[in-house]
Amino acid sequence: MSESIDLTVDFAGLKAANPVFTASGTCGYCNELADFMDLSRLGGFITKSITPEARRGNPTPRIVETDSGMLNAIGLANVGVDLFIKEKLPAIAQMNTLVFVNLAGQTMEEYVAVAEKLSLRKEVAGFELNISCPNVKEGGITFGTDPAQIEQITSRVKNAVGGKVLMVKLTPSVTDITATARAAVNGGADALSLVNTFPAMVIDIETRRPILANRSGGLSGPAIKPIAIYLVHRVFTEVAGPGHIPIMGMGGIRTASDALEFLLAGATAVAVGTATFAQPDCAIRIIQGMEEHCRRKGISSIRNLIGGLQ
Amino acid sequence: MALRRLFTATVYRNCQIRPGYWRADLDLDSSGCEAFSEVQPGQFAELRVSDISLPPAQEVPANLRDLAQRNIILRRPFSFCDVHAGPKGIRIGVLYCVLGPATVRMMSLARGDQVSLIGPLGKGYTVSPEKKYALLLAGGMGAPPLMHLGEYIRARYPEVTPIAFLGARSLEHLPYDVHIDNEKGAYAAEYDRIGVESHIATDDGSIGFRGFVTQCVEQWLKEQAIQPEEAGLYSCGPEVMLAATVALADKYGIACQVSMERMMACGIGLCQSCVVATKGKGETGPYKLCCMDGPVFDGKDVVFE
Ligand SMILES: Cc1cc2nc3c(=O)[nH]c(=O)nc-3n(C[C@H](O)[C@H](O)[C@H](O)COP(=O)(O)OP(=O)(O)OC[C@H]3O[C@@H](n4cnc5c(N)ncnc54)[C@H](O)[C@@H]3O)c2cc1C
Ligand SMILES: Cc1cc2nc3c(=O)[nH]c(=O)nc-3n(C[C@H](O)[C@H](O)[C@H](O)COP(=O)(O)O)c2cc1C
Ligand code: FES
Repeated sequence: MSESIDLTVDFAGLKAANPVFTASGTCGYCNELADFMDLSRLGGFITKSITPEARRGNPTPRIVETDSGMLNAIGLANVGVDLFIKEKLPAIAQMNTLVFVNLAGQTMEEYVAVAEKLSLRKEVAGFELNISCPNVKEGGITFGTDPAQIEQITSRVKNAVGGKVLMVKLTPSVTDITATARAAVNGGADALSLVNTFPAMVIDIETRRPILANRSGGLSGPAIKPIAIYLVHRVFTEVAGPGHIPIMGMGGIRTASDALEFLLAGATAVAVGTATFAQPDCAIRIIQGMEEHCRRKGISSIRNLIGGLQ
Repeated sequence: MALRRLFTATVYRNCQIRPGYWRADLDLDSSGCEAFSEVQPGQFAELRVSDISLPPAQEVPANLRDLAQRNIILRRPFSFCDVHAGPKGIRIGVLYCVLGPATVRMMSLARGDQVSLIGPLGKGYTVSPEKKYALLLAGGMGAPPLMHLGEYIRARYPEVTPIAFLGARSLEHLPYDVHIDNEKGAYAAEYDRIGVESHIATDDGSIGFRGFVTQCVEQWLKEQAIQPEEAGLYSCGPEVMLAATVALADKYGIACQVSMERMMACGIGLCQSCVVATKGKGETGPYKLCCMDGPVFDGKDVVFE
């Protein structure tokens, strides 16, 4: 029997069984993946974006595949916070992992409204503030590119989460991600998550039209991974710092090596998004792969790798 | 919810049935057999194609050589043209049209190859046992699930007579082994084999009835003087054809189920990419998920956009 590897990480005061989460919008609301994995083995789970009212979202096609990635323009379709509480929270209570609810809205008041309704729910470990969705006209990315607005919305939502962990999700579509990251930290963010998708377009050369009904969408998947790693590294070295503000790294993670790259770049945890579509149990395979890597390298705790870039 | 699994299947056979149309038969592993023991016609599976290699360049149809070079990351949804339980387990038939990077890769599948599947997924057709006729309306590549349905009805509902109406733009686009008989006219051997009468319609009249498959059914309904409560319509094909089917069903007061198609990133309810507009109280009715609430919907619930 080989020695057991310590995969646990401390994420803004929350103890995660391992650093692997599933990313918002790619793992449903609650137990949708339960047929394919034991959800309690995850480090954590991040729900689809939740808004105060139900949202229909964009017309179809909402997704299109591209070389080494995909574009989505779902448009924050979701059941709305009340139905979420009624229908999804009971299942979340059974999941036995850290659950973050992803918050979205069109105005600051809307974000606050969702946060307030969930702030006292013990099923919820924390919140992810989505100020980086490229697919809606109002809210989303319009907040996410302006440091002054980021600081303001972060501090307002922070006051509404009842002491729960608040993680702010950054968009990569800015010239200087350290400025937006710093604004979130100044606003009181307990953690940062990056990156959301990149605005992108795919054109059908036969019809000469964009394929997505929304015309453009957000690019995710392996194509964005090296950029995401670069951005995580910059935020880690210039803003978050070791032992200060933890980073949830994401963008194109498909294998354990991908996840380990993010940890070395400075992420404390990672989230798996698009890869789950192709391999529903992908997150579990990544956890196993990390453990094997540590064993092979004689690393006793995964925490020793965080920010370990030489 | 019914059982669904992530499992492996082994290719038993993969061959071209006519230019551009192929059929793969897959033997499911024990977990797949368990999941498929109660599969309904119209359900589907998500096939992992990203690790299947491209066939040699000369075998790739010339018009797809450019497109075929694209990498694949997502799975692809396919329904089944038949599902057979044998002594060694369950074998499923996948009938596919070669039209892009995934289906080009599938051409290279050979006996013994392993493929990863997730299934069975979604909701299939519900057979109404009290209806004397089950009218199966297939347009183009809407063929597979209705072949399965025809066989399923023959095996389980002896009191229901399935009759197939198979349409396409022209003869080359009919994914069947089409024959002409002096008495029966044009028919598909696949349906003949399972004892189901079939009628063929082509838009250009290159074979069978000239016109849309919905017009062909309408003519048959009139000729046979069918009462609305005697028949059920089961349809799969392009969306315009499904809309025409629903209009026909409305006109004659016949119950109708349609199988919808959407771009699917996951097939298992994670991503919200596959929505179908349905009728509700307001002007914009609720969206439902094609992969979970469908792909088969009651015709009167769907809003065709
Ligand atoms: C429930 C369901 C059952 C299906 N059953 C069959 C079947 O039995 N036989 C068959 O030949 N085809 C079936 N299809 C369609 C099949 O999924 C597509 O033909 C296939 O994905 C094409 O992949 P490609 O890479 O070769 O082509 P691409 O170049 O990706 O696409 C070619 C065309 O296929 C459509 N398409 C591509 N990806 C998807 C996707 N993920 N979901 C839906 N449509 C897509 C696009 O509209 C495009 O116009 C089914 C689709 C659905 C939703
Ligand atoms: C289909 C789809 C839907 C998404 N929905 C959301 C969402 O509702 N809220 C959000 O913050 N991020 C959303 N994202 C972004 C992901 O959480 C993640 O940041 C991004 O996809 C990069 O990771 P990946 O390359 O592993 O997918 C979505 C991504 C995809 C592909
Ligand atoms: S395809 Fe992902 S929810 Fe239907």
